[in-house]
Amino acid sequence: MTDFLINWIANIPGFAVPFALAALGLIITEKSGVLNLGAEGFMLMGAMAGAGAVIVMGGYPLLALVIAAAAAATLALVFATLTIGLRVNQVISGLLMVFLAQGLTSLIATQQGWTNKAFTGLGKLPLGPLKDIPVVGPILFNQDLIVYLTVPIFFIAAYVLTRTHVGLRLRAVGENPEAADAAGVNITLYRLAAVIIGAALVGLAGGYLTVVVAKIWVDGMAGGRGWIAIALVIFARWHPWRALAGALLFGCVEALIPRVAAAGIGVPQYFMLMLPYAVTLGVMVWTSLARSGASSEPSALGQPYVREERH
Amino acid sequence: MKRLLATAMTAALAVGGVTGAATASGFKLDGDPKPAMIIFSQKNDGGWSQALDEARQKLETSLDMRIPVVENIPENATSIRPAVELFIDRGHNIILGSAFGYSDTFKELAEKYPNVLFLNPAGITNGDNLKSYYGRTYESQYLCGMAAGAISKTGKLGFVAANPFGLVNWTVNAYALGAQAVNPDATVTAIYTGAWNDPVKERAAAEALVEQGVDVIGQHVDTPTPQIVAKEKGIHGTGHHRDLSEFSDATQCSSVWVWDRFLGPEIEKIAAGEFEPAPYGAFLSIAEGGTDIACCGDAVSEADKAKIMEARQAILDGKHVFAGPLNDRDGTERVAAGAVLGDGDLWNMDWFVDGVITQQ
Repeated sequence: MTDFLINWIANIPGFAVPFALAALGLIITEKSGVLNLGAEGFMLMGAMAGAGAVIVMGGYPLLALVIAAAAAATLALVFATLTIGLRVNQVISGLLMVFLAQGLTSLIATQQGWTNKAFTGLGKLPLGPLKDIPVVGPILFNQDLIVYLTVPIFFIAAYVLTRTHVGLRLRAVGENPEAADAAGVNITLYRLAAVIIGAALVGLAGGYLTVVVAKIWVDGMAGGRGWIAIALVIFARWHPWRALAGALLFGCVEALIPRVAAAGIGVPQYFMLMLPYAVTLGVMVWTSLARSGASSEPSALGQPYVREERH
Repeated sequence: MKRLLATAMTAALAVGGVTGAATASGFKLDGDPKPAMIIFSQKNDGGWSQALDEARQKLETSLDMRIPVVENIPENATSIRPAVELFIDRGHNIILGSAFGYSDTFKELAEKYPNVLFLNPAGITNGDNLKSYYGRTYESQYLCGMAAGAISKTGKLGFVAANPFGLVNWTVNAYALGAQAVNPDATVTAIYTGAWNDPVKERAAAEALVEQGVDVIGQHVDTPTPQIVAKEKGIHGTGHHRDLSEFSDATQCSSVWVWDRFLGPEIEKIAAGEFEPAPYGAFLSIAEGGTDIACCGDAVSEADKAKIMEARQAILDGKHVFAGPLNDRDGTERVAAGAVLGDGDLWNMDWFVDGVITQQ
């Protein structure tokens, strides 16, 4: 039983990280007032690029993760051009990104022969003697580098968003772009940066799926995790730490499902397969019932900004 | 994928394994056979579709004809119809499908083009010029189960499966029966991922199995991920769809599609005007060109390999994997002594044999 619990808990961070990073990326983008429904697409792009990079370079998984983030950021330039430059409807543009990325990743991976090719990805990074501490060791100190890095990434993002001038301006752009513009903030620049950085984090989450977790690329392998990240952002009401908590909740469920099955515990399997979705649903219901709490949904979310336009 | 789900439903209709009387329909091709293939996903998917495409390439050689292929035609009528009609316009008169999701559109097109013959794997529709087909995968998975049982030191086998319904459940059960033919105490712990093509979930399942002490991992999912995990953990595995030793030298046996062995003679029969329609489609054994095994890796001893090949011969000679007396793990009799499990019961299989550990 102890082994079961330790194995379970030790596996939670690996499942939580892609959700956490993707949700954080979306929060940064949406804080600037740009609604990004293309998460699934950016995740696919990162996943494919990460896998391709490892295969082509024959290793260097950390560099591959950087390439994964960069590839998603590059694709985000298209999204930024549509939503910020041309002021196309953001919902449509986001969905378009998903379909574009599905086709593009499939095309590139097929052309390059990256599909279904196993590779050596990023392994665990045990922290010296710390990993030998009973119980705590395997849970906290025998993870991969990205798991360790996720914590400081969240600290930095939360600090920048809430405690710095840059964060204040970013939030102002998302809350009231007219006022921010009048105060001399460059709306286009802030939104562009938020879209690019956000997509890079979603791409990193995708790269994590292939380079760290699966160590293989197959078509469409984000498997709806981008959509779950979008739900997480709503659940977290645009607060980074709540998003991390939500991601850990999903990590708990995803790590539990195969372990319950492998242990032969007699829970109906359809119930287990339903669990992540039931949790999503429950979380959404709970959030909407608890609306009285402070939501920091940006007021201008989804609205293109046109200077001097009256509302 | 949807294609397989409905194969199960289909055959639920084919109660009791009634097979069509072997009478020619009188279907005649206009001119020489000119087949063309339409694949619903990318053709080098490493599994199901690639096996079909490889069969196509073998047929090009054995039948000495060019068989064009088009890939990524999604399972909806608005995508399928133009692809098929383009081939027909170019003079192709045998259309080879690839998915359950093609069933309804193929039925409709078969009625519209009575001079064109349609063959569709994992389909559920049939007619005078339309035949669906699928393989008796339990035969090959039984043999791979024997290999797994022979190489396992702990007697604990794992199995990563997709969705819990008939055609997946029968591979799990056959795998366990095969393993127990070699090691009567062998158990099979099966995890259903709920997805055909999700390497993240497959890895999670395979790793959870290794934590439980299994030392051979079988599979009925679309990616080779369970085999790769087996390699990383220094244990063994068995594959599905194609010979997965290409991805992982941990793989000791694979249940492989051998569609060319069915399609070759079938196309020749069609060309000779001897096409036999089947009201419930063709349900192909090893002998008829459904699946076979790619066996065995180095970990299987010569003696065990001989045993497996002997069992394969017995199946070719007519031995049924689900022959009575056979009880499920709760003790209910499923097949009486002297009887074999009917095809309808196979497609509806929702029970597990003794030694299978899985959730209900």
